[in-house]
Amino acid sequence: MESITGLLTKIFGDGMSPMALLISGGLTMALIMSLVMAMCAIVFTWMERKVAGFLQSRYGPMRVGGFHGVLQPVADMLKILGKEDIIPDEADKALFMLSPFVIFIGSLMAWAAIPFAPGFIASNLDLGLFYIFAVSSAAPAGILMAGWASNNKWALYGAARGAAQMVSYEIPLALAAIPVVMATGSLNMNAIVDAQGGGVLNWYIVHDPFLFLAFCLYFIASIAEVNRGPFDMPETESELVAGYHTEYTGMRFAFFFLAEYANLFLVSCIATAVFLGGWHPIAGPVFLPGLVFLIKAVILVFLQMLVRWTLPRLRVDQLMHTCWKVMVPLTLLCVLGSGIWMMVSGELL
Amino acid sequence: MSQKLVANLKSAFGERLLGASSAHGDEVVVVGREDLLEVARHLRDRESCEMLLDVAGVDLSEHPSLGGSADRFEVNYLFRSLANRSRVRVKVRVEEGQDVPSLSGLYNSANWAERETWDLYGVPFRDHPDLRRILCHHEFEGHALRKDYPIEQGQFCTVPEKLIQDHDIERAAGRADSAAEELHPSDLLTVNIGPSHPATHGALRLECLLDGEIIVDAKAEIGYLHRCFEKEAEDHTWAQVMPYTDRLNYVSAMLNNVIYSHAVEKMLGVEVPPRARVVRVIVSELSRIIDHLVCVCANLVDIGALTNYWYFYNVRESIYYDVIEPLCGSRLTTNYSRIGGLAHDVFEGFEQAVERNLEKLATAITEVTGLIARNRIFLDRTVGVGPMTTAQALDWGFTGPCLRATGCDYDIRKDAPYLGYETYDFDIVVGTAGDTRDRIMCRVEEMTQSARIIRQALQRGLPTGPIVVDDPAISLPPKEQVYGSIEGVMNQFKLIMEGTKVPAGEAYGFGEGANGELGFFCVSDGSGQPYRMKVRPPCFPIFSAYPEMVKGLMIPDAVAILGSINIIAGELDR
Amino acid sequence: MAADLVFYGFALLTVLAGCFVVFSRNVVHAGFALMFTLLGVAGLYAMLGADFLAVTQTVVYIGGILILVLFAVMMTRVPSQNAPRRGLDRMVPAGIFAVAIFALLYKVATGTSWPTATPGEALPTAKLIGVKLMTDAIFPFEFASLVLLVAMIGAAILIRERKVLPAEAPAEEAATEAPADEPEVTA
Repeated sequence: MESITGLLTKIFGDGMSPMALLISGGLTMALIMSLVMAMCAIVFTWMERKVAGFLQSRYGPMRVGGFHGVLQPVADMLKILGKEDIIPDEADKALFMLSPFVIFIGSLMAWAAIPFAPGFIASNLDLGLFYIFAVSSAAPAGILMAGWASNNKWALYGAARGAAQMVSYEIPLALAAIPVVMATGSLNMNAIVDAQGGGVLNWYIVHDPFLFLAFCLYFIASIAEVNRGPFDMPETESELVAGYHTEYTGMRFAFFFLAEYANLFLVSCIATAVFLGGWHPIAGPVFLPGLVFLIKAVILVFLQMLVRWTLPRLRVDQLMHTCWKVMVPLTLLCVLGSGIWMMVSGELL
Repeated sequence: MSQKLVANLKSAFGERLLGASSAHGDEVVVVGREDLLEVARHLRDRESCEMLLDVAGVDLSEHPSLGGSADRFEVNYLFRSLANRSRVRVKVRVEEGQDVPSLSGLYNSANWAERETWDLYGVPFRDHPDLRRILCHHEFEGHALRKDYPIEQGQFCTVPEKLIQDHDIERAAGRADSAAEELHPSDLLTVNIGPSHPATHGALRLECLLDGEIIVDAKAEIGYLHRCFEKEAEDHTWAQVMPYTDRLNYVSAMLNNVIYSHAVEKMLGVEVPPRARVVRVIVSELSRIIDHLVCVCANLVDIGALTNYWYFYNVRESIYYDVIEPLCGSRLTTNYSRIGGLAHDVFEGFEQAVERNLEKLATAITEVTGLIARNRIFLDRTVGVGPMTTAQALDWGFTGPCLRATGCDYDIRKDAPYLGYETYDFDIVVGTAGDTRDRIMCRVEEMTQSARIIRQALQRGLPTGPIVVDDPAISLPPKEQVYGSIEGVMNQFKLIMEGTKVPAGEAYGFGEGANGELGFFCVSDGSGQPYRMKVRPPCFPIFSAYPEMVKGLMIPDAVAILGSINIIAGELDR
Repeated sequence: MAADLVFYGFALLTVLAGCFVVFSRNVVHAGFALMFTLLGVAGLYAMLGADFLAVTQTVVYIGGILILVLFAVMMTRVPSQNAPRRGLDRMVPAGIFAVAIFALLYKVATGTSWPTATPGEALPTAKLIGVKLMTDAIFPFEFASLVLLVAMIGAAILIRERKVLPAEAPAEEAATEAPADEPEVTA
């Protein structure tokens, strides 16, 4: 946020009171983050369809906007805005209307601590990483809200599955990041990224074998955390019709959609910052940091798409089995292992 | 073998066997309704008739030779023994209002088959556990296949049937209580899978009673796609039924065409010309490939492996556009076979088009098996899910890939060859556990075997000669004659207006459909229209086992199993 | 000044949502309102410079306990026949009790001399807390983890006693069997 406030000071001069500066800076940043989220949905829906098409020997969108249907998401957005907002008669109306925004805001808040480039971070929190996990942990409440309010058995099943899944996978997700915190000695996102400067060999993913394993586990857990295939339990279109958003239409559905793709990008951004050196390039001095960061994050998004369109879906009990009996012990092993590694290599003491 | 079976029956039951006859290769015995249970038990235990294929009612009231006799209805039971390669049809004649003992205690497959007979003819079955309507709506009045029910009389039925009643819920909760855990009826939740659900691929309904995600009880309802095929058949000429068969299993319409014509030819006693036989084999096997492609790819979508869908579906579409559409003008509703041959000859370049598509098929199979065969998630989702032993499968009346997946090497193309299948070299694909994975993998391998058959047929070259029998009583005259001579016009007129006169009698014609044994039990009164046409669709008995298969499993398993048993609502509901 | 506004915002959120929790007749609504109460409290913590506490409050209460409460509320059966009566015989004792508690709390709140400190620069607390936990408070910390371990083992044992319904369908055993051989091909 420093860069934003600095910019604002430049524009409006020093006449602004610090509090006004803080508030206007915060609002600007929130606006930028909302735009980032909207862009996520627009860019990644198109990308997802093209990647899926590429894997499935077909084209994907080709018509709208000339080149490879680049304007397809815009057309889809216009369509979805024009749809009727249907609220089922038997639904719990207040909660039904509220839940898309709860999920959306939960997702939006997490963006505050993502360091896109040096100085370009909405809020350089001392507890950055912890804060991100904390704010994302509110999402299951939104999903439960949606499922319960829809008054539809499929939606309720999807919500129960989704909440259970997200609550469970938060644990390996957070545990997988702990070795990095241990290595950095800080939860601050900027500090974590700064510690990885100076070439690919300093990135935490190659710090030690346990951290590499931690990255793999983080990647798997993050797919589960954003409810994408092969862990798309809350939606499972062949079982639960459409899961927790079965009854949603139009704008409200668009918010779920927006949050889904924003979360997809969010977990990739976290992985980039925590494991892949953030804005630091493979070698050489920092150059176009924002772009480097974006490229890394988009590659991770692409990998997630590749996984989604390759693997079959797990059953809900197998999903829980994977989490509690495989991933949690393995992440604990990573914490222990990299702790020992750091002790032996003398980093900790 | 079937004669020996009848001889054994005669010696065992003597005078109580009211009659025995043999026609068109079918052995028929008539028994009194009180003896039926004993005869069936004898057939099952002594003659190893593992399978009750079908139960077919007939209303004799307008039958020229049997009509007006004391008994109005006739119930035909089709028994088959795989071990002895024999089969027999047992007839029971009943007067209106008289009941027939139910065989559902002996054969699981009797349950739904008897319900269908009750629904359509109103013949009650004594001691049947669940005698409700099955194809018609539960509010329907009257019995639709009786000769006195007017074909045009529709009824408006609106109230959906509640399948799982309160007492079912209490019973299920009680069962849980005995397992030492407290469960209250309100802890269980009923959920409807279907009639409109992404996994049902057609209109089916399964009402599940769920404890969490586990299905503790399930009941199925069918009939959403009931189009009165059998009633319509009685109102059309034999040739006019052909397009209706397209709509039975609409995924492999060619097979229905071919097997239907095979059944009618059996009654006529005609032999199809060699060229037509080979073309029929080729299109049948192509059709089987298409059916398996669709089944497997849709099954994989149900499991969440969406990408495989395109790998298989592209080949399916390619076969449709390259071969089937040029051959008969449409993709799904082919209407290509004719009684006594085929509608017209194959197009120029047919062999090359088929060959090209077989290559595409081989590539697609390699790709899909590469994606799934050793995929841990796929194996976790399918291995041990919905397993069946051979004995259970036979008891339920399973045929086709679902039966072969259990390890039973029964294939009509080998067991009772028709169309010259005995001259082709191919293997029967069997599984071991009869679970979802075996069903999928059996289908995948069967496609390779079908491709082998087609390659052999193409290598031998299509025989030259006519594609339809040269018999003015059966096949339409060539167009030059119709437009050029009075005999041709008259011949065409008689065949179209009155239909092919099929000699009075009855026969069960059957063949290996894509999903199992597809049979047509035809009764003719000597006119140009069928007196009775009973279809034995392979997925009807298979689906009757489905509610039992899913009990104790979870919803995702139920969805995976439903895909693997390949229920096609078109032939299920007819 | 602006800080005061933010404080009143959070306080209002906490109190209003808290009132909703208490007065709502719909248990699920009350559960969701609890989320806003907890958020408000987290905000108040953050304003006091207790950033670690604020974030922990979010993780533990919103991400964990609230979800648990919601699950419990949604999944338990509705006691239809014995809904609480609202008679005078219940309201009078309850009212007396409430007034007594309020009086007590009021007396405590006004009678206590609350030490105040001038708010300084908010310092990062995470490191401090971490060091304290690993040095001075090591025994309670380890003891708490022991309690949690016992709780987890207890939960695992409770779940193990799972009935299989119906008895003849051994779904779980079947699912864990080794993959069968490739489909055989016989002539």
